[in-house]
Amino acid sequence: MPKFETTEKMFFSLMGRKYTDSQLEEIFPRAKAELDEHDKANHVLKIELNDTNRPDLWSAMGLSRLLKNYDAGKPSRYPFFSCAGHSEDNGGRELHIGKKAADVRPYSVAFAADGKVVDDDILTTLIQSQEKLCWNFGRKRKTIAMGIYRDELIKYPVHYDGADPDKTHFVPLHLDEDLSLREILEKHPKGQEFGHIIQDKKVYPLLSDDSGEILSMPPIINSAKIGAVEVGDSSLFVEMSGPILKDLILCASIMACDMADLGFTIKPIKVIFPEKTEFGKEITVPYYFQQDASCELSDIVRVLGQKMTVSEAKKALLRMGVESTVNGKTITVKCPPYRNDFLHPVDIVEDVMIGYGLDNFIPTIPRDFTIGRLTPAEELSRKIKDIMVGLGFQEMMYNYLGSRREYIDNMNITDSQAKAIFIANPMTENYEVVRPSVIPSLLESESVSGNAVYPHNIFEVGKIAYLEPSDNSGTVTHNSLGFMSADSAVGFNEVNSLVNTLMYFLRYEYTLKAPECDSRFITGRCAEIIVNGKKAGVFGEIHPQVLENWGVTVPAVACEIELDSLL
Amino acid sequence: MTDVKNLHPLEVKLLRNIDEKTQITADGIVSMLGYNIGQCNQAFSWLCAKDCLKEVSKRTVVTYELTELGKQYAKDGTPSQRIFELLKKNGAMGLVEIAEALNLEKSDIGSAYGALSKAGVTAMNEQNRAFLKSEVLPRSITDTAKLLEKGLSAPVEESSLSDYEKSLMGNISKKRGSAGSPFKINEKEIVEYKITETGLEVKQAVIDANITGEEIGVLTPQIVAQGSWKNAQFRPYGLDAPVSRIVPGRHNPYGNYIQWVKDKLTSLGFEEFDGPLVENEFWNGDALFMPQFHSARDIHDVYYVKNPVHCKKIEEPWLTNIANTHTDGGNTGSRGWGYKFDREFTRRQVMRSQGTVLSAHQLTKAKVPGKYFGVVRCFRYDEVDATHGADFYQTEGIVIGKEANLKDLLGLLKMFATEIAGATDFKYVPGYFPFTEPSIEIHIKHPVLGWFELGGSGIFRPEVTKSLGIDEPVLAWGLGIDRMALMHLGLNDIRELFTPDIESVRTRRGN
Repeated sequence: MPKFETTEKMFFSLMGRKYTDSQLEEIFPRAKAELDEHDKANHVLKIELNDTNRPDLWSAMGLSRLLKNYDAGKPSRYPFFSCAGHSEDNGGRELHIGKKAADVRPYSVAFAADGKVVDDDILTTLIQSQEKLCWNFGRKRKTIAMGIYRDELIKYPVHYDGADPDKTHFVPLHLDEDLSLREILEKHPKGQEFGHIIQDKKVYPLLSDDSGEILSMPPIINSAKIGAVEVGDSSLFVEMSGPILKDLILCASIMACDMADLGFTIKPIKVIFPEKTEFGKEITVPYYFQQDASCELSDIVRVLGQKMTVSEAKKALLRMGVESTVNGKTITVKCPPYRNDFLHPVDIVEDVMIGYGLDNFIPTIPRDFTIGRLTPAEELSRKIKDIMVGLGFQEMMYNYLGSRREYIDNMNITDSQAKAIFIANPMTENYEVVRPSVIPSLLESESVSGNAVYPHNIFEVGKIAYLEPSDNSGTVTHNSLGFMSADSAVGFNEVNSLVNTLMYFLRYEYTLKAPECDSRFITGRCAEIIVNGKKAGVFGEIHPQVLENWGVTVPAVACEIELDSLL
Repeated sequence: MTDVKNLHPLEVKLLRNIDEKTQITADGIVSMLGYNIGQCNQAFSWLCAKDCLKEVSKRTVVTYELTELGKQYAKDGTPSQRIFELLKKNGAMGLVEIAEALNLEKSDIGSAYGALSKAGVTAMNEQNRAFLKSEVLPRSITDTAKLLEKGLSAPVEESSLSDYEKSLMGNISKKRGSAGSPFKINEKEIVEYKITETGLEVKQAVIDANITGEEIGVLTPQIVAQGSWKNAQFRPYGLDAPVSRIVPGRHNPYGNYIQWVKDKLTSLGFEEFDGPLVENEFWNGDALFMPQFHSARDIHDVYYVKNPVHCKKIEEPWLTNIANTHTDGGNTGSRGWGYKFDREFTRRQVMRSQGTVLSAHQLTKAKVPGKYFGVVRCFRYDEVDATHGADFYQTEGIVIGKEANLKDLLGLLKMFATEIAGATDFKYVPGYFPFTEPSIEIHIKHPVLGWFELGGSGIFRPEVTKSLGIDEPVLAWGLGIDRMALMHLGLNDIRELFTPDIESVRTRRGN
């Protein structure tokens, strides 16, 4: 979940007053935010945001905007948005998108801002916003990459296009070398980190001004000159590129509103595409593209379970920064320009709920009568557990992921006998295989419990899973009982008696059959349990080779019964 | 002072039968109380340890005990005596004749005859036959016979012998390998004890408490059958004696806790569901309206199955419904995520990463109204540490009802907070989950842990429910019971919940 840091100074100045920690904890839930940490020594607040669908909240500006609107009961307004049928004055600033961009990263949008001197705090904040938006919302720059540049060095129009990776070169930020685009991918740390997004393409994205000065190679790195924003700069050019135009425009809107909140004046830029896009061939950014969303008052009342008037709902929405119009019982919201999360009427309902105040809903108990019930497998496993405990066994509980060594190699069996499910992306080889049997878990216990008082009588009723080609998933999960006795003198007779006792009390008729081959056990001292003509389990004396593999030095007998074959 | 109730009957009887004047030895007690030597020594060592007796002297006593041979000599006479009697009766005889007549080994005859000759009682004539020179047996032989006779009634104490007798005894006794000798030499250590001041006090206390040492200890079937207990006292047992350890068969305490949660939920009208560990992207994410490009679905959060990579098919109409919902909202009233649904990605198999998967499955077969829950194992691609396991339990469920609403959800959460977490103080906080809207978290104030998030919940998005065939509202909830389980078990490392260590599980207790 996204987290950001802000200085107390910036956050409280945006809020217009100071807050104690407990006051913050009280108001933050309105934005689904949590005060993660208050670093009092450095006067820094660390804040976590839970809503991954509200990137506008991932900055001090966005968060304080919502909180202030909530208290004021009225939304912030931003006058610099163009929309379909209306374009703000772009002052001659244009961004031209070239045709070759379509081959690598089709879209780029931008706006400019001035009127505020960038200080340390602002610089840190802008860089942080850029990182959060590109990392969390832009899927690690895959769908959104953002650059901030020194506007006074730029000669308009700016050009965004695909460029030859080998013939184009510039000095990237943080390196003193003039490198080709391809070399930057290889040598620059950011090239190594994000190069995979573009490296297979014939052309690489390039942003340059009208005099040919390079701004950046999105989504990798800015140039060392125009792309090096510093404290003291006061006019900036903000650009984002990516494959999804709507996300770029939304991201530009969020940045523009944030910067306006910081005191910048937003200067629109006309973006001219080579082809017509879903919003036309020319778009003046920041651009309001959101569609109105509506919901019925009855939806609100039904979902929230609370009687409410249209005007109460409208007021609640205003506290959330959302303006709406009412037609009869239909509420139509105008999505704030920095948001795009009204997918369904229920999304409006949630805003009403938060705006209305969660504390104003009196909890009720669901009235429907329903019957509680355990699964048949749970019922059976409880019976089995009780019998096993009565037989003197300790119930164990194990992890279901383990290693090839534990589940296959140590058990003296081959891959095809184990039928184990492997993980494609294991974090370590210790958790690489799904448990195909309970017996290895029991033996693991024995291998680490040499000091525990003997006899060791342990069992588990848990899940196992293994390959089963006939199933849709090619695998099957079973509930399974495994038990083991380890002591200086245990043998086939003991485990045979245990099975007999267990099956007697469970009321299952069974017969025994010598298995074809089960190298986990001593040949001639193991048996398959046959119930209703089908194999339900196996038991016997664990083969000394298996004991040796596990580093176990006492004899052990074990049994495993798949409960699903009994049900 | 020693608690008299803790005294063993052997100690009690001993104490009651001695006073400061008694010279206490093992033999004395054996004859006085009928103890065997082992019981005697036990009583002495216990009472010494309790400072009731003290050792006053220790000496070694030598006794001579007849061997089997000695007993025979005492009865039939020694070979020397018998040769003497034979010659007295028959006159001169050859040594071979004597051996035959007396049924003795030649070697015995040799040494016995040698002794007689040496004493001047016998001699050999010209025919090399033995004859008596004297009609009187020498004193050494008759005195030896007396010693043998003395030995018949009881072992002979060294202290009762004259120096002369001692020298005789030296010839006919051996310490080891005594089978060929008439006497065996026994050395015995005699320890003498005396009752101490403490001992006297304890004795008085025993008398005061009317403890006789004849009380019944182990109640045997005979005592019960014969009714001999009716006129007897039972010996009280000490309460501070060390107890021996029992290793019982036991349920796993974490399992017990989960079972308790399940019982709570069934008591609240919930029906349990369960499902396979291997899932696919469709149910694990797509069906829950998580866009296929959602950051939580990147490779670093779920475990993918290596083989088979894909399941064979996704059931219809769910696949088409969900695909349409993602693209443009389908018939759910949503505008959708606005991207082209990937029908191959959706078949990609994963290890179930959230219990909500089973809630989604349940929607396709649920009754209305219905309440369902599951406590199910989930898997996350996470570094394993004190707070993250490779696999762990999630507790999830749903409530389906025509009129289910937010206020019901709040009521449900409150019920969980009080019934399952035992919390008295709680608060609701707006939350975010991709599959619910609105979404609510409940935070509880725990007496030990302080404020923490007990659970997440919400009303399933219509994109989820309508696509899976449910028109009614569905409340969905999940509870983080692991933290409570850890505290319940007094643990602070989540890995401990699934420890293979037998001793640790055997001794673990719930609160």
